[in-house]
Amino acid sequence: MSSLNVLLIVLLILICLVGGTAGLKSFFSIIINFLLIFLVALLISWGANVWFTIICFVPLKLLTIIYLGTHDTKIADRAFRSSLIVTILITLVILGLDYLAQAIGVGEQASEDLIGMSMAPGLNYAAIGILVAIFSTLGAISEAAVAMSAGLIELKKQKQDLSHEAYWQSARNMGQDILGTAINTILFGFFGSCLALFIWYTRLHYTFSQIMNDKLFVQEALVIVDSIIGVLLIVPLATWVVNRPTKQN
Amino acid sequence: MQKKTLSLIIIAILGLVATVTIYFRTNYTEPLAVITQIKTTTRTNEKDQYDNRDQQITQTGTLKLLNTNQRGQTLTFTNTYDRSQLVNQRFQQHQRVFVQVTGNKATINNAKRDWVLVLAVTLLILLIVQIMAQKSYLVMLSLLFNIIIFGITIRLDIWRNGTNPILIYSLAAIIFAVGSFLIFQGWHLKMAVMLLSTISALLLAFALSYGIMAVTKEKGITYMAVAYATQSPRSLFLGQTLLGVLGAVMDESTDIVTSLNEVLEHRPDVSTKQFWQSGLAIGREIMGPLINVLFLIFMADALPMTILYLRDNNSINYTFTYTLSLGVIQSLISAIGIVLTVPIATLASLLLRRKQVQHE
Repeated sequence: MSSLNVLLIVLLILICLVGGTAGLKSFFSIIINFLLIFLVALLISWGANVWFTIICFVPLKLLTIIYLGTHDTKIADRAFRSSLIVTILITLVILGLDYLAQAIGVGEQASEDLIGMSMAPGLNYAAIGILVAIFSTLGAISEAAVAMSAGLIELKKQKQDLSHEAYWQSARNMGQDILGTAINTILFGFFGSCLALFIWYTRLHYTFSQIMNDKLFVQEALVIVDSIIGVLLIVPLATWVVNRPTKQN
Repeated sequence: MQKKTLSLIIIAILGLVATVTIYFRTNYTEPLAVITQIKTTTRTNEKDQYDNRDQQITQTGTLKLLNTNQRGQTLTFTNTYDRSQLVNQRFQQHQRVFVQVTGNKATINNAKRDWVLVLAVTLLILLIVQIMAQKSYLVMLSLLFNIIIFGITIRLDIWRNGTNPILIYSLAAIIFAVGSFLIFQGWHLKMAVMLLSTISALLLAFALSYGIMAVTKEKGITYMAVAYATQSPRSLFLGQTLLGVLGAVMDESTDIVTSLNEVLEHRPDVSTKQFWQSGLAIGREIMGPLINVLFLIFMADALPMTILYLRDNNSINYTFTYTLSLGVIQSLISAIGIVLTVPIATLASLLLRRKQVQHE
């Protein structure tokens, strides 16, 4: 059996042991998420409009990540609402920064991988860049939204007579703790994703300003910044969204 | 409150000044120019061996050199790009570009982009200060610390030329974890519990995954597909996997320990069973989304290539093997780490509870 299959089976066993049926749901959320990404790639390669694909698949991905990954619907509802708002905001940031940076397509570092491939494939790589940036931030945004909502709802469950001030104070503390490391998740995720690229820059003696103007570096750096901005915005929004229904009751 | 508003205004002004300064900076080793005139001259439809239809567009115009000893001179240029903008791109009037000069003609090499990074970082710092308030400098300190350690780790890797990746990157991971927790949490019991949980979960998950890879003789792992490899791709892959999951495991340990600590503060008399279930409940809620964070980061990166492979009539199997499979394996190993963190972090948090009981 291939390593991939054994790892997949071990993950399935562990996730069921730790999470029970909720774990099983998380497992399927990952599988569905993978299929959705592959479907997006297939659709675009068949010539589907990239902007239209973004509008259809971004909410769909948020839905699968949050509702299938979270077994408590109350947490999922709040997390979905706050992450959808933040995703819309962050899409505007991405569009603005990407327009200014004009870092479109693949970098010169990929030229070896492009041998034998079509250089004029008839696709819209400016839009594909936006899609990649939004997809990269989605995970971090929804994770922070779920962590905030889960923590806040658990807190409310444990102590129901919490005053408005105490709630916001606890939320602020929780948000600051969660943010500090949510930012690390993003940073290390990208370290793990771009290690080879950074070793490339160092080995090939790129100068500092060459790196700062390099297409690929600017793409990656902007995605890191976009993701962190998204996660930061989640804290006030999730606090607000979780607190809202209580007022009505 | 007023102090915060003041710092926000100061950061905004400094950031804008820096952005404008970098935008107008001309002091580069490469020749820099600004496009003064540009127009589209020809559009040709093209078709390749895969039956892909595209359009080749030629832009001509003039640009003014901004540095070197030919500064101030106006040169003509031609830029050819495909509508896809996969390997070449469209340029606009007033855009600042790096060029190569031959006679009175110039060829555009690259766009100037550094100022956009300054602008983006300014925006980021403003938001960090606004939302993190008095803790904002800790976040920035920790970002800086991690970037420096990352730089040192890369140098170390190059110095050892990719040998002993597990040793180098495990050590780096421990330093990253200790440093980040020290900066952000300070030295106290809660932080020690988080650290304990992070390091044990990371090492356990990696040992398990490495064991699985060894038993299956790394069958089906296409190291050839590691992008931008300048050394043994296997060492790159192991390093990427160890670093990639570290942040997530730290994040999760912090989330679980923090939430359990809040629970303890509001209800110090909680029973061990309830405590254990609270921990698992919190962990269960975050583990799915957390796995997806890394999964999306690892996958989204490979998306442009995946689309191109599929576009060029490669089979789904072939495309998967050469573009996505490594990201999937990396995600699976990360996922195992994230799942193992839930019970480990809850167990570690029991130390908090014992302390609390002794306090009473």
